[in-house]
Amino acid sequence: MKETTVVIIGGGATGAGILRDLSMRGVRAILLEQGGLAHGTSSRFHGLLHSGGRYAVGDNEAARECIEENTILRRVGRECVEETEGFFVLTPQDDPAYVDGWVEACDRAGIRAEQVDVAEARRLEPNLAPDILAVYRVPDACVDGFRLVWHNACSARRYGGELLTYHRVTGIEQQGGRIRGVTARNMISGEDVRIACDVVINAAGSWAGQVAQLAGLDVRVSPDRGTLIAFNHRFTSRVINRLHKSSDGDIFVPHGSITILGTTSSATDRPDSTTPTSAEVLRLLELGRPLFPHIGSYRILRAFAGTRPLYDAGGAGGRSASRGFHIVDHEEEGLAGMASIFGGKLTTYRLMAEKLCDHVCARLGVSAPCRTAEEPMLEPAPAGLLKRAAGLFPMQGAELAAHRLGASFGKVVEMMEEDRERQIICECEMVSRAEIEFVAGDPATHSLHDVRLRTRMGMGTCQGTFCSLRAIGALEECAAHLALSPTEDVRQFAQERWKGLRPALWGTQAREVMLSRAVYAATMNLDGAIHEQD
Amino acid sequence: MKLRLNPDACIACTSCVVQCPVAEATPEFLGPRMVGPAAQRFRLMGSGEDESLHYCANCKNCDISCPHGVLISTFNMMARAEQARKGPFSLRDWMLSHGAFLARALGLLPAALRNFGMLNPASRWALDRLGVSAQAPLPRFAARTFRRQLRTFAQPDASRSVVFFPGCYVDIYDPQTGLDIVWLLNRAGYRVIVPDAFDCCGLPMIANGFWEDARRNAARNAEELAGWRRKGVEVITACPSCALMFKNDLPEYFPELADSMEGAAPTDAQEFVLRLVDNGELPLPATGAPLDIIYHAPCHLRAQGLGLPGLELLQSLPGVRATNANAGCCGISGSYGFKKEKYHIAQRIGQRLFTAVRQSKAPVAASECGTCRVQIEHGSGKQCLHPLTILRRRMEA
Repeated sequence: MKETTVVIIGGGATGAGILRDLSMRGVRAILLEQGGLAHGTSSRFHGLLHSGGRYAVGDNEAARECIEENTILRRVGRECVEETEGFFVLTPQDDPAYVDGWVEACDRAGIRAEQVDVAEARRLEPNLAPDILAVYRVPDACVDGFRLVWHNACSARRYGGELLTYHRVTGIEQQGGRIRGVTARNMISGEDVRIACDVVINAAGSWAGQVAQLAGLDVRVSPDRGTLIAFNHRFTSRVINRLHKSSDGDIFVPHGSITILGTTSSATDRPDSTTPTSAEVLRLLELGRPLFPHIGSYRILRAFAGTRPLYDAGGAGGRSASRGFHIVDHEEEGLAGMASIFGGKLTTYRLMAEKLCDHVCARLGVSAPCRTAEEPMLEPAPAGLLKRAAGLFPMQGAELAAHRLGASFGKVVEMMEEDRERQIICECEMVSRAEIEFVAGDPATHSLHDVRLRTRMGMGTCQGTFCSLRAIGALEECAAHLALSPTEDVRQFAQERWKGLRPALWGTQAREVMLSRAVYAATMNLDGAIHEQD
Repeated sequence: MKLRLNPDACIACTSCVVQCPVAEATPEFLGPRMVGPAAQRFRLMGSGEDESLHYCANCKNCDISCPHGVLISTFNMMARAEQARKGPFSLRDWMLSHGAFLARALGLLPAALRNFGMLNPASRWALDRLGVSAQAPLPRFAARTFRRQLRTFAQPDASRSVVFFPGCYVDIYDPQTGLDIVWLLNRAGYRVIVPDAFDCCGLPMIANGFWEDARRNAARNAEELAGWRRKGVEVITACPSCALMFKNDLPEYFPELADSMEGAAPTDAQEFVLRLVDNGELPLPATGAPLDIIYHAPCHLRAQGLGLPGLELLQSLPGVRATNANAGCCGISGSYGFKKEKYHIAQRIGQRLFTAVRQSKAPVAASECGTCRVQIEHGSGKQCLHPLTILRRRMEA
């Protein structure tokens, strides 16, 4: 049995942010996540670090929170943020009467929105439609959700925080109206773990309702499903928003080497309703056309879906539900030591963690202040190390790798210096064998899927057709301790890629899938291999 | 310019990597797929250039092999242009890509002096320090350029005309091949016009990153080509690289110029002559002494996808047994194999071809491309001639 002060349930941005915040304040805490880090919504969104412009009219308070947190994150999480800036673009289909009110609302929220000459905007973003009517520049940026969660977790670890991924909470123990502990199942070994604690924090996002039920509580979280499209290349280097009342399919975000278009919005009763459909993809393409008329010629890599953890305080659902967040101390319902955090959005995760930790610390009698707005998550990579690394990474990708790897960058550079062949395993996202071997050796890595999330291996053009095979071979050679057999690992990896490929299976990507199928199903008989091995 | 390039068509099948002669010869080159469409995705996000880009020889075997029509070498050449624009000026690359200009500048000196000036051991040492390999088989300047010789060449009266684009290699280093072609065309009843307005096609400039210089030449040449098109006079060239530049590369690199050219790319001279033979306008000799020839198809000829008319011509000659060496790239790729850091790569690439030529019982090799011929002679020790030179010799025999 383990013992700690606080157990946090949910390894998304909020949970990892809380783990870091508490650990920095000297409070002992363990985070439990049912899958890998950011397995839920924190890796299933468009990657937009909101300026707040999108919420300015509908929810000015949320917009103000966005711009404040946006500014803070650029400082403390610079390795996770790409400072692209954003455009709000008025198309002929949008109501011009909306503009003045929007500009005024941005001003009120403290968001700098300056008009850009249309010709200048099209010079900067030549793929934008020629008939756009007005463009405003806002301080939007792009954020890598997975990396943000990971760097929070790594920073928390350095402060003594503990992280248990692939641990699903099965019970919340209480005695006399007080929290006593939590039981969880290790999803890989099947073992049950019991953790005694004083406080449980429910930061399970779309799963928060289910977690509350384990404690016998009834809370109304309504998961709202959003589907997005990832395109193969970066056809815009800025975030592009439609200048109208927030709607579906009106945000394009450049995200590293790809572009993401989102999002749809539809109610669902299942937090894990993350299989996108062709109908959603086709609808998004149609909605995106007024901004990018050649959208039909851009190759779709895949589609993906996530669920927004909307908190249903008064019965408002979908787009009109609050994007603000809510902290509920369940002592009011007769259970001391349990708090839940609902709603919110990734841009304000740090603020959500701060407010919740302030509340919990007050209860625990801890007076240490929050320092997450001042202290960067990572020390920047030393200039000397970056210089040493410059020639080792393809496409001068040393800085990208430094941002991915954080404190481990130096170790990977050493490994690359030793690997005379400088092998590249993922040629689409330019990931080296050294980095993949290093990540596979981390105790939080159990599968190719985990390797993918940390390195971006398999997330580019070929969607894992070549790299999964190469990676599993390399990892077998270096005897990495993965949870699954190599065949099953590759099979699950290919299956997960397939889930996103299937709803947009046309054009060049259909050719890609045929190649992939030829490699895995035909040549390697991956779909039948298990039976033939017996 | 990079905005026109969309890397989406590549499915990473790696056909190009298998066919890339440079990737096979050196692990330093990441290969056409990675340096081309894969790296393009990173260029769009503002990443720095990959160090191995300079290894691309622009031989076009990637483009030939791609089943999805990805313009791989175009990605590489555009990236190189961007790199050259930002990076330090390379005198070596400038010299190697501005041969026509240099030849004009040195034109007042007698060829012997020019050759002595360029090829004496001290100069070769100095060039080597500049980055031109001391071992590279630099061609010798001809005593008089092809154009100057043609001015005093008495062409018989003819009712029909054809325009000949000589290309720098024939003009500066190998006028005899040009004169052989003029002789053949005269024989078929054509007067040959070589307009002064034609300048270097620009392909060497593209391959060395001198994009603006290439555009200037392309504009001048396109205007001249369009003029002849309007007059209804066909333009031909015997150099596969020049032909490729006008047919494929120019429309990709400078689409606005391609419009002004009105589709007037030069015809392959071998194809033109083959047509004359087929029409009966150029009767071949009825008999001939037995002769074995080993033929090398230049990569830039194969990239045009028009078959091997030069080889067909040789095979249609009585007594001639011409075989296709079919042994891949010779390695030279214009000026690539002359460069100090590329010389050994070029030699490794050409090894298979050199061996095939050496082991063949043919006393002579044939190829349309001037620098391929230089490389084959250097690597195999056998003489290598333009197919149309051989045709003339057989007809005169």
